[in-house]
Amino acid sequence: MIRKSSLLVAGLTFLLSGTAFARATLPPLTAEQADKGEALYGAACAICHGTAMRGNFQTPPLRGTFVARWANVPVSELSDYIQRAMPLMAPGTLSREDTIAITAWLLKANGVPVGKTPLPSDDKLLHSFKFPAIPAGSYKAVIPD
Amino acid sequence: MGSKPFLTRRKAFIAAGALGTTAALRRQGLISSAAAAGSELPPYIEIPHLQPFLADPNQIADIKVCIRPFRAAGPRLDVERIGDKTVFHNYGHGGSGWSLSWGSANIVIGKVATTLEKKVAVIGCGIIGLTSALTAQRAGCDVTIYTRDTLPHTRSVRANGSWTPDSRIALTKPAGPAFADLWEQMARFSWATYRGYLGLPGAPIDFSDHYVLSDKPMTTEDIEKKNAGKIGKGDYASTGMPQSSSEFAEYSDRITDIIPQAETIRSGEVPFGVAYGKRQQMMMYNFGAYGHLLLSEFFQAGGKIVNREFHSPEDLKSLPEKVVVNCPGYAAREWWNDKSLIPVRGQTTWLPPRPDLRYGMVYNGSSMLSKSDGIMIQGFDLELGEMAGVGNSFEHPDRSESERAIGVFTELFNRNAVKKG
Repeated sequence: MIRKSSLLVAGLTFLLSGTAFARATLPPLTAEQADKGEALYGAACAICHGTAMRGNFQTPPLRGTFVARWANVPVSELSDYIQRAMPLMAPGTLSREDTIAITAWLLKANGVPVGKTPLPSDDKLLHSFKFPAIPAGSYKAVIPD
Repeated sequence: MGSKPFLTRRKAFIAAGALGTTAALRRQGLISSAAAAGSELPPYIEIPHLQPFLADPNQIADIKVCIRPFRAAGPRLDVERIGDKTVFHNYGHGGSGWSLSWGSANIVIGKVATTLEKKVAVIGCGIIGLTSALTAQRAGCDVTIYTRDTLPHTRSVRANGSWTPDSRIALTKPAGPAFADLWEQMARFSWATYRGYLGLPGAPIDFSDHYVLSDKPMTTEDIEKKNAGKIGKGDYASTGMPQSSSEFAEYSDRITDIIPQAETIRSGEVPFGVAYGKRQQMMMYNFGAYGHLLLSEFFQAGGKIVNREFHSPEDLKSLPEKVVVNCPGYAAREWWNDKSLIPVRGQTTWLPPRPDLRYGMVYNGSSMLSKSDGIMIQGFDLELGEMAGVGNSFEHPDRSESERAIGVFTELFNRNAVKKG
C-alpha cells in the first residue's frame, strides 16, 4: 500500500510540477527530509564536495556528471553506497535515517520535486525508484540556471 | 573612509590594461598593501642577471589584435531550447577565457552530462570550444566541433596567453556575489588542470619569472593619482556600458592560497638598474605547442571537426546532435545576436623568439613576456586602465601603439647601458 501511494504521489508531483523527467515514477521525498539532508550535507559532505556540490579537481561533483553516473540506477544503490563508503574519512558512520535524508537532498538538488510522501527507508521500496535522468529537452525546466 | 584602502588598491591596479595584464599586475603586488608590508625575497634567492632583447620596431614580426568577448554579468552559461536542440552556452569570458577555460567547460559539460546524450555538437574551436570538446570527450561523449575557423585562426590565439583569470571577466554589481563563487570554482579547477599540462615537450604550459619594475616606490597613491580610469558619467546600470575601471570585478584575492604571490626585490638588485621591483612566478600558455596538443588530443579521442559557419540559431536544426555546446566567443554577437557582448580591443606585438630569455616584465605602461613563439610586447593605458579598449571592435593593428610599447623598453635598456658605462 505504501508503495502504491508513493508512486501515486510521485506521479502527481510530476504532473503538477510540470517538469518533464522521462519517467513519472520519480522517487518521492519531503521538504523536511531534504532540509535535514542539506544540513547533514553541510556538516559531513561539503568539506570535500563543496557547498555548491560541484566538487573540485579531486572530488566528484554531486550535480551534473553525478546525474549521468547514477541515472536509472535504483536509489537504494545510491543510499547503500553513501552508507558504506561516505564520508570518505569516516565511512559507515551515518545512520540509516541520516543516509536517507542525504539521499533525499541529493535528489532534490538534482531537480526532483518535493512532495508529501517521504523517501522510504525500506531498502526494497527504495529499490523500486530509479535515480532520474534529465532529458535534454527538459534540462531548463528541471534545473534552472 | 573605511573603504578607502580598498578603493586605493582598486584604482591602482587599473594601471594595467590590455589582455589580462591587469590581474597579473595586481597579483604581482603592485597594488597589494599586504605585499608592500612584507614578502621580501629571502637572502638565499639571488636575482639573476637579465639579458635585454633588441627593442626596436624594425624587429616586429607580427601585430595581433583581438576582441575580448566581455559581458557585464560574466560569461553566459545558461541553457536554451531551440527547436529540438538543447543549447548549453559557454561564451563571454572577457580577458579570462584561456585562464578559466577548463573550469568553465567543467561547469557546462556537467550540465550536458545530465542529459545522458552521447552525441554532442560544439560550436566554435577557440580555447573555450576546444576545452569544452575535450571535457565532453572525457565525460564519454562523441564530439563534433562545428566551426568557421580552427585554432591558428581563431581570436583566442590573438590573446596574451598568461594566467589572468579575472581580467575583464565581469562587472562587480551586474555579476553579483553568486558569480564570485562560480568564478572561484572555475579558477581553481582550471589552475589544477593547467598544472597537469606542465613539463611536457614544447612547454605548452610553462612558468616564467615576471618582474614589475618602477622608478618610484610602489605605493598605491602614486598610481591612484594617475589612474582614475573614469571616462563618463554614471555607470553600467544607467548607461548600458561600463564608465569606470572601478566597476570591473576583481576576484583574485579568493585564490591566493594556490597562486604564487609577488615578492619585493631587495634594493640595488632590481633588474636593468631600476629603483624598485617585485617578482612573481607566473603561469603562461605557449599557443603553438598547447594548441597543437589540444587538437591532437581531440582527434586521438575520435573527435571530428566540420568546417561550417552558422548564421542564425535556426541553422542548428540541420545538426544531427540534440545537444549543442555554444562556444563562439565574440562571434555570438553576430550569430546569436547577443548584444550583451561588449567588445574590448587588445593588441599584442611580437618580436622574434628568444628561448634563452625566461622572463617577463612590466614597466612604465608596457609589458613583455618571452614565450616560445616570440617576445610578446603589450602596451597599456595608464589613464584608462580597465576601460582601455572597451566598446572598441576595431580589429586591425595600430603600429604606433606597438612602437610606443617597444619604445618603453628601448629607453630602459639604453638608460641602463649608459649607467653601466
